[in-house]
This record gives sequence, C-alpha cells and structure tokens, in this order.
Amino acid sequence: MAATVAVIVAAVLGILAVGGYDTPRALAALWNGAFGSTYAVLSATLVRATPLLFVGLSVGLAFRAGVLNIGAEGQLLAGAATAVAVGLWVGGLPPLVALPMVLGAGAIAGAIWAGIAGFLKVRFGVLEVISTLMLNFVATSVVSWLIRGPLQEPTRIYPQTLELAPSVHMPTLIAGHRLHLGFPLAIVLAVTVWWFLTHTAAGFRVRVVGASVRAASSAGGVNTARTAALVFLASGALAGLGGASEATGVTFALYEGISPGYGYSAIAVALLARLHPLAIILTALLFGALEAGAAAMQRDANVPSVLAAVVEALIVLGVLAFNHARTRGQRA
Amino acid sequence: MRIHDSLGAQVSHIQTKTPAEFDENFRQYGAKGYSLVFGHGFEFQDAAARVAPDFPKTIFVTTGGTRSSANVVAMSFAFEQPSYLAGLVAASVSKSGIIGCIGGTELPPVRAGFDAFSQAVHVVNPNAKVLTAYIGNWDDAGAGKEQALAQIARGADVIYQNADAAGLGIFQAAKETPHVFIIGSNSNQNNVAPTVTLGSVVIDLPNAFMSLAREVKSGKFTARAHVLDTRSGVMKWVLNPQLRSVVPPRTLQLVDSVEHQMQAGTFAPPASPRAPEEK
Repeated sequence: MAATVAVIVAAVLGILAVGGYDTPRALAALWNGAFGSTYAVLSATLVRATPLLFVGLSVGLAFRAGVLNIGAEGQLLAGAATAVAVGLWVGGLPPLVALPMVLGAGAIAGAIWAGIAGFLKVRFGVLEVISTLMLNFVATSVVSWLIRGPLQEPTRIYPQTLELAPSVHMPTLIAGHRLHLGFPLAIVLAVTVWWFLTHTAAGFRVRVVGASVRAASSAGGVNTARTAALVFLASGALAGLGGASEATGVTFALYEGISPGYGYSAIAVALLARLHPLAIILTALLFGALEAGAAAMQRDANVPSVLAAVVEALIVLGVLAFNHARTRGQRA
Repeated sequence: MRIHDSLGAQVSHIQTKTPAEFDENFRQYGAKGYSLVFGHGFEFQDAAARVAPDFPKTIFVTTGGTRSSANVVAMSFAFEQPSYLAGLVAASVSKSGIIGCIGGTELPPVRAGFDAFSQAVHVVNPNAKVLTAYIGNWDDAGAGKEQALAQIARGADVIYQNADAAGLGIFQAAKETPHVFIIGSNSNQNNVAPTVTLGSVVIDLPNAFMSLAREVKSGKFTARAHVLDTRSGVMKWVLNPQLRSVVPPRTLQLVDSVEHQMQAGTFAPPASPRAPEEK
C-alpha cells in the first residue's frame, strides 16, 4: 500500500515535470495557496471548505441511514436559488431578521428538493440513487431558467440576478478576510449531527436503519419508512443551507454554475471521512485546501487548470490509498 | 502572453469554474500588486466592483460588462458589427434562403450578434428565414451536431455558430452534409474546417488586452467604458480565402463598403440585444 502512495506521488511529480512545469514552484504554490499565509487560510481554504462541509454532512448523514442521496448538488442549488429569491425580497429588513429568513428558506428548499425523492422512495419504492441524480439536472435547468426569467436582473441583459443587499450578506468574521459566518455555522452543524447520531434515540434509529433495514423493522420495531423520510429531509436541508450560505457569503447573486459540482465532491468528502460527522470537518478542509492550492498553482506557477485538476484528483487518490492502508494495518 | 513578450510585464492567469472564485482570484492578484487584472466575462463585473475599492493601485478589466469606476474598466465588444458583415455573406451564399444561428447559451453578446446577423440577412434577402437555436451549454459537441443536423433538415444551408467547443459538432455536421456552410466566431475558425467555413467573426482579444496594457504602462490610462469595434481592429470579419469563389463578387464589394462605413463610424447595426425573432 505504501507502494500505491509512492506511485501516486511519483505520478504527480511526473505529470508536472513531463508537462514542462517548474515542479518545485508548482508544489510550493499548491502549499502556499492553501496554508502559506493567514490570507490563504482565512480567505481561500476555509471559504472553499465551507460549502463542502455543508454538503459533506448532508451526504454523510444520508449514507449513515442507508439513504443513497447523491442529489446534494440539486439540493444545494435549490437552496441557493431560494435564498437569493427571498434575499432580494427581504433585503430591506434589518440583518437580524432578514438573514435567518434567507438561510431558513434555503434549508427548507433543500429539504423539499430532497423530499421529492424521499416521497418517491417511501411511496413508490423509486431508487433514490436515480431520483436524486435526475433531480440534480432538473435543479440546474431551473436555475438557468430563473436567471433568464423571473429572477433576472432588471436590465434583462445578463443571465444573473441582482446583487443581494448588504443586509442579507453573511457577516465576515475577520476584517479584511472573506471568511464568513457560514463556516462556524457548518462546524456547529457537524457537531450537532455527530451528537444527534451518537447521543439520541432518533440518531440510534438512523444508524440501525443504515446497518440493516430488515433488522431495524423486525427486531428493532423501528418505523424505517418514517426514519428514511426524515433523513431525506434533514439531508436536503443541510445541502440547501450550504447553497444559501454560498449565495449569501460568497457569490451574492444567483448565476449559472454557482456550484462547480460541490454536491458530487461531497460524496468523496463524506466517504473519505467514513461518514463520521467530525471527520467530515477534516476532509472538507482537505478538499478546500486542495481547491485553493490548485488555484494558486494556476496563478503562480502557470499550471493550466486541467492539469491542476489532475494533480488534485491524484492527491485525493493518494489520501484514499493511505487511509485504506492504515485501516487494513489496524485490522490485521 | 504577447503582453509579456512585448511589454516585459509579469503575467499570470487562471481559469475559474464558478462565480465563487472570482472574488478570491481578484483579491489575490490585487494583493500581489498586479497592476492590471483581466476578468473575461460579464460574470466578473459584480466581483470587480466589490474588490476594486480595496486595491486602488490595480486596474480591473471585465469584458462584456457595462459598469466602470475609478479602477474598473468595462470592456465590451461590438459583436454585432462583424456579425452584420457575416449576415450579408450568409444570405448571398444561401440557396435555400434558410439560414441557421446556433449559440451555446443565450448570453447578451451572442444574442446581439445573431440579431445583427439576421438583420443583414434580411437586407440581402427579405424573404430569408433565420432559425435560431441555443444548445444550452458550451462544451457538448454531440448536442451541437444534433442542433446543426436539425436545422439542416429544416433546409438551412448556412449556419452561424457561436458555441465554443460545442460548435465543433456543428462543423462536423456541415462536413458530413454537402452544400452546407458554417460561419465561425470568436477566434478565427477558418482552419477548423476549411472546406465548409465561409469565414469567422473574430474578436482579437490579445489585441484588445494589449492596447489597454500599453495605456496603463505609459501612464495614459483613464477609467472608462471601452467599446471595442471594427474601428479599433479588435472586431473583424475574416473571410476564408479558400471559399472566396463561393461568395458572389457583388457581395464582397458590399461587405467591403459596409465595413468601411463601420470603420468611418457612419453606420452601425443596433447594439442592444432584442428578443430573438424565431426559435
């Protein structure tokens, strides 16, 4: 297994070298872009990690209950779109009133979007892998329509909404940095989800259903359909809140491509953490750091974006292999 | 890169995937003391407006936008001008009188280009029919080909495409169908499929960035909205020399004279996008 990790490290170095790029400079940029300065940490890495943490928790919670929700992307988009729609509407209210409304609306929208798949699953037995995936495409198209239709900015030239009023911007935590309230909010949620799963009866039911649906209903007397339905809603709400946080903390308007696939990265974030909510904080940070570092690699070492993406993917593979090797060692 | 070579400037670039990254990258460049930052796309203008006050020594340039301030320059391209010239050529080459427009998504400059194109088509042939379709993305060449084949099936024999990578499928469709011609856009695409490409509507982006970079270097820079058109040489219609014989000589003369009028500033097709006339 150490060999696998070595192969991947060699592949990263090899690709950069063969591509004719200054490898030490590229790797230095990767590191500095993620952790090299307070600015990199507070304005890039943590900002990138925030949406990943929300959607990672969404996927992690669902998978723990055996609900294969791969629709976090769509739920995040539903949350972002609704948050912006509500934000444009209540922008004149004081922040203490307006912001909770906007975030709440995003969470509800995400829950409803996931709830569609949940309803189909519980009522008709439709596989959620298919329904949640399909709903991602629907959400993408709905966003495209909204920004060319009802939510388009008033001059009707650009496919985007107006910018949100400052009263519905997530407050930044440290002056001069982009880190916003969404990050601590996501941390609190991670701890809450962990506490819920390990310290409450409902959380125990979720884990039992995830371990074996049949055992849960026959031996445990758990209403599995009800548990699954609630997990769908909670998972969707987490992803929707992530979308709302991104829209009010980072983009301040609705655009096409507001998510570069956070909902899909979330699956890797959650699985790498073995679905443990507290470990998801670490894996989200890892992915956030990689995204920030890859951007710096482009800016400071002129590595093209596709190659930066390949390096990023290889590092994730390396971490996976390392992780796997470690656990195998533990079991033996 | 030409800026690097001829002005001796330090150049760095990045591709962004999402609006979430715009602030981050603008701020990083501002913090590093870059004097000129280009954001290519209308999506950058909000981020530029937010970031610019914090980095007064850096000039932020966005393309396709409209808002300028002390150190934000909105650069826009008169896409409609060369598109108009392309329309004159398309209408005179088409035998069926049915002409297609295929875009990636309905962005303002794309629509403005199609509007002017279609206007020119109707000047040459008042009975012509212009079909307009959008693929819905900029990278699915398969979908691009499908749209092109659908328009060809409806009788289109000249297609004006503005769909980036998805547009490659449109060239492919034309190569497989006899007597169908394509007009390329953004870069000079005449070599993509030289046997079917009548010409290209070209934005000479390096030239545009270059002229601004020179201004900044020489200290003559003043903040303003830059509309770049055929006069500045940034926007141009480039006929494919290999297919020159397909275009009637009268049309070539017409294109030349309209181009001169545009350069002299005596004629300009309407710039603002209108509702698309036919789906």
